[in-house]
Amino acid sequence: MKQKVVEEETVFADAITPLRLNSRVVVWRDRRLLAILAGAALVVFSFALPMFTWRITAAQMTYSGGTQRSARFPLLIAGQHYAQKAPLAKKTLTDLQVTVAPVKEHRTSGYGWLAAILAERGALRQHASFVICLLMPLIAACLGAAFVGRLLRDGWSWPESWIPWLIRLAVLGVGGILLAWMHQFDFSDWLLILGGKALWPRVGFWGALAGALALLIGSWGLRRETQRAVSNWWVLVFAVALAVWLLTRVRPYPYWEIWTFIADGILVTLRIVTTSFGFILLVSLLGGLGRIAHSKFIYGIASLYVELIRGIPLLVQLLFIWFALPQVFDVIGAALQGISPALQGWGQWFIDLRLSPFTAAVLGLTICYGAYGSEIFRAGISSIHRGQMEAARSLGMTYFQAMRYIILPQAIRVILPPIGNEFVALLKDSSLVSVLAVSDLTRRGREYMARTFLSFDTWIMVALCYLVLTLFSSRAVEFIESKSKFER
Amino acid sequence: MGDHQSAGHSDPPIIQIRNLRKTFHHGRIVALDDISLDIPKGQVCVIIGPSGSGKSTMLRCINYLEVPDSGTIIVDGITLSEAKDINRARMEIGMVFQQFNLFPHLSVLDNITLAQRVVRKRSRQEAEDIAMDLLRKVGIPEKARAYPGQLSGGQQQRVAIARALAMQPKIMLFDEPTSALDPEMIKEVLDVMLQLAQDGMTMVVVSHEMGFARNAAHRILFMDDARIIEDSTPEELFNSPKEPRTREFLSKILH
Ligand SMILES: Nc1ncnc2c1ncn2[C@@H]1O[C@H](COP(=O)(O)OP(=O)(O)OP(=O)(O)O)[C@@H](O)[C@H]1O
Ligand SMILES: [Mg+2]
Repeated sequence: MKQKVVEEETVFADAITPLRLNSRVVVWRDRRLLAILAGAALVVFSFALPMFTWRITAAQMTYSGGTQRSARFPLLIAGQHYAQKAPLAKKTLTDLQVTVAPVKEHRTSGYGWLAAILAERGALRQHASFVICLLMPLIAACLGAAFVGRLLRDGWSWPESWIPWLIRLAVLGVGGILLAWMHQFDFSDWLLILGGKALWPRVGFWGALAGALALLIGSWGLRRETQRAVSNWWVLVFAVALAVWLLTRVRPYPYWEIWTFIADGILVTLRIVTTSFGFILLVSLLGGLGRIAHSKFIYGIASLYVELIRGIPLLVQLLFIWFALPQVFDVIGAALQGISPALQGWGQWFIDLRLSPFTAAVLGLTICYGAYGSEIFRAGISSIHRGQMEAARSLGMTYFQAMRYIILPQAIRVILPPIGNEFVALLKDSSLVSVLAVSDLTRRGREYMARTFLSFDTWIMVALCYLVLTLFSSRAVEFIESKSKFER
Repeated sequence: MGDHQSAGHSDPPIIQIRNLRKTFHHGRIVALDDISLDIPKGQVCVIIGPSGSGKSTMLRCINYLEVPDSGTIIVDGITLSEAKDINRARMEIGMVFQQFNLFPHLSVLDNITLAQRVVRKRSRQEAEDIAMDLLRKVGIPEKARAYPGQLSGGQQQRVAIARALAMQPKIMLFDEPTSALDPEMIKEVLDVMLQLAQDGMTMVVVSHEMGFARNAAHRILFMDDARIIEDSTPEELFNSPKEPRTREFLSKILH
């Protein structure tokens, strides 16, 4: 027992030296700081050593049907020429050959590559992502060195706010140097295999990678020295988006093709979701006000709407609007024309009335989600103490002025979190509108699968796209919430 | 019920209540039972009575926060019945609540200027000038930029009074303005009310602050069981209450 206590104390003391006790930070005794310093030095030094000594200079593509294309790359392979040129699904790449040649001696190092690209006119724009990736470990190294430098100069206070950035940039540094190498074969594993051993990186790359890792390990060890949140869920959004991007790059067949095919579906999905969400907010507000109305009639209508709609599955509502509503219009039109010849025009208008798939989708989502939203608004508004309304009315404001200036601004803070969740749910449920001949993300995925039968690849891509959208909007909702908490 | 208008006043009373009746729960609870009351301009009228006797309900009927079952209310010549009249009359009636009911999402200054701007249609500048004058009057001009949550109870209640006064009402209603306050804050609110009474404001005050009733009230009503039981001056009521129920109640609250 006694032994244990002693142990705990030593562990505690070890973890805390030399930072927390407000004693001077001795850089030379702190392994984390030494790792950062060594990593930074290693990165800077390794960039002067040979890094990528061979490169792909040309590619020769053969497509089904015998069409041939070739591409030459003066500096660095780029642009996925071999993949993009293949017309979708009609021709497939049957053969691919590459020429590999050594890079000029003085250009093989990291600095050499940077200099070569900067020297060539227009090359920077074309190879911007390569340059950025290559610069990442250098930037991380500079930041790490500056951090340690500050500690040396002013050893009493930690530049706390730097630590999260140090960690983020160290992550980017490791990722950057790896991605920089992948630029050599345009991320495509075929090209890597074709290039063989020649494209394998040299000592400068490994040095820079080791340095970047040392920076990361060192700065990660510092994460407890700051109160600030180091990792947050934005990283997940970023990671999933990166996964999608890498998939399209590493395996242009089929992922780049799937991406180009479904990309317009993403836009359609976003358009449907944002349009309906606007209407949903409106309907929810009206529905919510109806649910707290004193008038029995308005209350009855709002309640009926909420209760009925919440009891019917969204898919059934959408199918009804798309397939059954035209018949309802026809019946109404015929009835109007039957009543009197004066209503001939109106009747015809109803008979001619056909909803576009987009309108039907927006209508269906608005009606369904408006019902849920009404309950959210009702709960939000009635969570505000009734004294607020009375005070506003006693000052001579009308009911709507009181709502507008007093009740809703307060209720919005209660309403925001659940309505944000509704937005994310709407984003996912919008995939149901694919039954209405709307070319949204899901439907585009189905269409692509029907052509190519690549079910696994198609649906993994569609799923990842939805994931990026939903993760992003969840974060955005969280951000807005946190802002509205501080604003008064 | 007799008309309390004295011969000295040629003006009609600013508040006239006739045969007011108010029930809750479909008539099962009678909150006000056939109340008639006239309050002349400039009078400070204090209402006391046991809990549940209908004091708050009467106050809230005067500006129609509660809609009476029957009876008429005439405020400053406006008969309250239609929505338009009610809003017009409410501009003439300021109300101060037991729970302050400040708007927590607005700064003190905005609390006081909002209704001026949207109801009285004053410019922001004009409204703010009026607000600052009133804040000086209630003694907290330095809190103009603060939010209600940052103020003490007494300060909040003074802001609430300033907010009501900013509409330049002819009548002020106070519903137990000090009963949610700690004892040391009661005085600062009562001082403001006393000042207001001296300035000649017509006031109807539900309060059990007997000091205020003695010093400021022209008239004191004792309510019990949805009726006005006794209607007299403070001296009369405190020294020689007529009704036994009044006597009993006074002995309780004065110990
Ligand atoms: N909104 C309401 N719904 C139902 N009953 C109510 C309502 N408001 C008041 N009452 C009832 O009417 C009666 C009078 O209430 P009121 O609030 O006017 O009393 P009060 O004299 O102000 O009492 P207190 O001194 O406790 O504030 C009480 O029996 C009360 O229960
Ligand atoms: Mg009361």
